[in-house]
Amino acid sequence: MLVLLLAIALGVTLGLLTSVSVPVELLTYLGVAVLAAMDSSLGGIRAALEQTFHDRAFAFGFLTNTLMAAFIVFIGERIGVRELYLAAVVAFGMRIFDNLSQVRRLLFQRWRWE
Amino acid sequence: MNNRIYRPTLVAVAVVLGFLVAVAFNTTSKFVISRPQRVSDLVSVVRDMEQQQTALQGRYSDLRDRMDVLEREAAEDSGVRESFSKELERVRLAAGLTAVAGPGVEVLLGDGRDVDPDVDPNDYLIHDTDITAVVNALIVGGAEAVEVNGERIVATTPIRCAGTTVLVNSARLGSPYTIRAIGEPERLEEAVLNDPMAALVFGPYKAQFGLEVSIADVDDVFVSAYRGSMRPRFAASIKGGDR
Repeated sequence: MLVLLLAIALGVTLGLLTSVSVPVELLTYLGVAVLAAMDSSLGGIRAALEQTFHDRAFAFGFLTNTLMAAFIVFIGERIGVRELYLAAVVAFGMRIFDNLSQVRRLLFQRWRWE
Repeated sequence: MNNRIYRPTLVAVAVVLGFLVAVAFNTTSKFVISRPQRVSDLVSVVRDMEQQQTALQGRYSDLRDRMDVLEREAAEDSGVRESFSKELERVRLAAGLTAVAGPGVEVLLGDGRDVDPDVDPNDYLIHDTDITAVVNALIVGGAEAVEVNGERIVATTPIRCAGTTVLVNSARLGSPYTIRAIGEPERLEEAVLNDPMAALVFGPYKAQFGLEVSIADVDDVFVSAYRGSMRPRFAASIKGGDR
């Protein structure tokens, strides 16, 4: 767990140090990407805890989720339904909490086993 | 068992997640924080410009006031100058200091040609008295401008004999004499022919001595300006007219 937290901290530090920013118009894409990354991370932790983790499946899952989310935002802007990105946000949000609850349960199981 | 969680891809995604969060933070902080700053900047800019505007409006009205004053002064100046120059022009015209043109007559006085040796040669000549008679007659006839061979007759013009020539102003003139006068042509001609002295020249003398004299109406007579000096040394004008 600690390694993952350190990895997140590393990413934040990198981002803050380079002070990379995106145009305001792309903020929606960024938010959706953040959600996708959170969802993938929690899903990965859960898979790892369930002993079903596959590097390739995980990487592809992350990529396809992110791309699909970005595509939904893009399409939403193009067809005049800017709120379409909420679909991605809601889906990722539900999955995040779902994964979080599973991770929590699995972690509790692990710690009780030890 | 413990190490199972530390999958490289998972770690990589975690780094990406952190990075994305940081980027989002950068973007929103710039976006959100910069807004009030910009607003206060704009407010101060607006205030500055309003002050500038007020100052400029003050200067504008000052300058307009000054312009009004100057325009009024200029109008007064030009009014005064105009009336002065008009008056000056009138005086110059009356004094004969300007060349003038208008309807009038042209009187030609030339010496006689067929000279008889038995007769006094003076009888064949045009004399200063003849010229004076004609000029006087023209002035009686209302001539406004008179010249003799280009010499303008003014208030101080003498016409006198100087040997075989006639002195008008300070110019020596010889026969033939051309006297030009501006006025009503008929009146001028009548005045010349009714003058006793001039009538002699145009009548008996012309017939007897073959003087080349004539008088003709001219639509547009040109009379030159007086060219001499006019600087009174003794006369001083008295303000208010009569004593």
